[in-house]
Amino acid sequence: MYVAHVGHWLVNVAYFLPVVAFLAWLIVTQLKERRRSRSGG
Amino acid sequence: MTSIAHGLVSRSDLPIPEWLFGWAAAMVLVVSFVALAILWPEPRLERERWRPLPGELGRLFGSRPVEFLCGAIGVFLLGVVVYTGLRGTQSPTANFAPPFIYVIFWLGLLPVSILFGDVFKAFNPWRAIGRTVGWIGGKAARGGLPAALAYPERLGHWPAAAGIFAFAVMELVAANGDRPENLAIATLVYSALTFVAMALYGVETWIARGEAFSVYFNLFSRISPFETRHRVVGLRQPLAGLPALRPLAGTVPLLAVMIGTVTFDGASEAPIWTGIAPDIANLFQDIGVSPQNSLELTFLIGLTATVLLVYGFYRLGALGAKSVGGGFSSTRLARGFVHSLVPIAFAYVAAHYLTLLLFQGQSIAFLASDPLGDGSNLFGTADSQIDYTIIGANATWYWQVGFVVVGHVAALTLAHDRALALYDHARLAVRSQYWMLAVMVGFTSLALWLLSQANA
Repeated sequence: MYVAHVGHWLVNVAYFLPVVAFLAWLIVTQLKERRRSRSGG
Repeated sequence: MTSIAHGLVSRSDLPIPEWLFGWAAAMVLVVSFVALAILWPEPRLERERWRPLPGELGRLFGSRPVEFLCGAIGVFLLGVVVYTGLRGTQSPTANFAPPFIYVIFWLGLLPVSILFGDVFKAFNPWRAIGRTVGWIGGKAARGGLPAALAYPERLGHWPAAAGIFAFAVMELVAANGDRPENLAIATLVYSALTFVAMALYGVETWIARGEAFSVYFNLFSRISPFETRHRVVGLRQPLAGLPALRPLAGTVPLLAVMIGTVTFDGASEAPIWTGIAPDIANLFQDIGVSPQNSLELTFLIGLTATVLLVYGFYRLGALGAKSVGGGFSSTRLARGFVHSLVPIAFAYVAAHYLTLLLFQGQSIAFLASDPLGDGSNLFGTADSQIDYTIIGANATWYWQVGFVVVGHVAALTLAHDRALALYDHARLAVRSQYWMLAVMVGFTSLALWLLSQANA
């Protein structure tokens, strides 16, 4: 049923893509930075 | 009629899909963030800059006669609400009380507070009565009135949060929450509780911390360029009243209630809620709860869950800001940035209830002439009608998007300004704001999604 109505919920998901993308970028950069500071220290 | 009032009219000829407005709004926030990081290197809003209105205007507006007159109007309107609620027709749209409480008072005072400052404080009927009774009591009692109790620190803004939540329950959950008689009784109960609290902790203390509507409108009035100090109305930078807000226990939950209740009102129209609500209600019915009470309990759960989600999302942002360093606890950060949620709360209310205010607000013209709904025509306006053509569907959408974007950019500015004041290093301040930016983008996306649901 969810596959059949993919068009409906995909539009809803589209609204939240910017925040999901931004959070993913934020978490990745923060993890990278931590790894870098750990290997540097 | 309800669908039109809530702006649920179709927008078929927008140039781009509605979700793309959400992406564009997020881009505006990111660009604003970068601009703030480059062009706003020092805190500017934290500094107190206030000057009285030119001439004698400031003193005139803040004078005792004006305050007395406004208070008297407030008490009169309180009386009209209670009287019409108890004695008038019980049709919510034909009685003065429901539209006055839910539209004129609750929604109409918001733009007034944003533009002209803490107007409700002057018109607050409970404050006016409390001060008058206190003054008479002080004159009558030989040794003066006993001193008020010290306001418990741990109470903070919790009573205000509870009051706003209770109001939202009345509006969004209670099946007969718009019945005039119920509203009149609720007003009387709330008035009695307020007077008891004022007697215990003092009128001004309770108004500043506990009285739900005073705290609510005062928060919004901090966006305004007008502020009254020592009975003089003066000017300050717009938004500058918010950094001066002293967060108390319960301030963050209060803002979560303010945003969460509007969020739920929007989400309750969305298929995601209309799909699961009957299932939850059935669970209650299966254990013997009546259908009406089952639905009320379901909506109460939805409302509470939405408020908790909003609270949790903000606290996650604070937790993220903590992770960049600086030595602040997440609770300290959550309280430190809570004032930036006020423009977001404004954006949510303004966008969601724009058409309700514009359309149903007009009903006060005929309800003022016929407040009891008994066919009277006191001012000759009883035959006036609501003009639904004053704003179109597309114009409504653009205004709503505008409110959402402006509110969130203002929030971002406030958070950036506070971060510069809080952190020793500008770089750390900017990095901490990555998380606040995520919170703002999240609230923006949510706001536009909610608005789109009204059109689904």
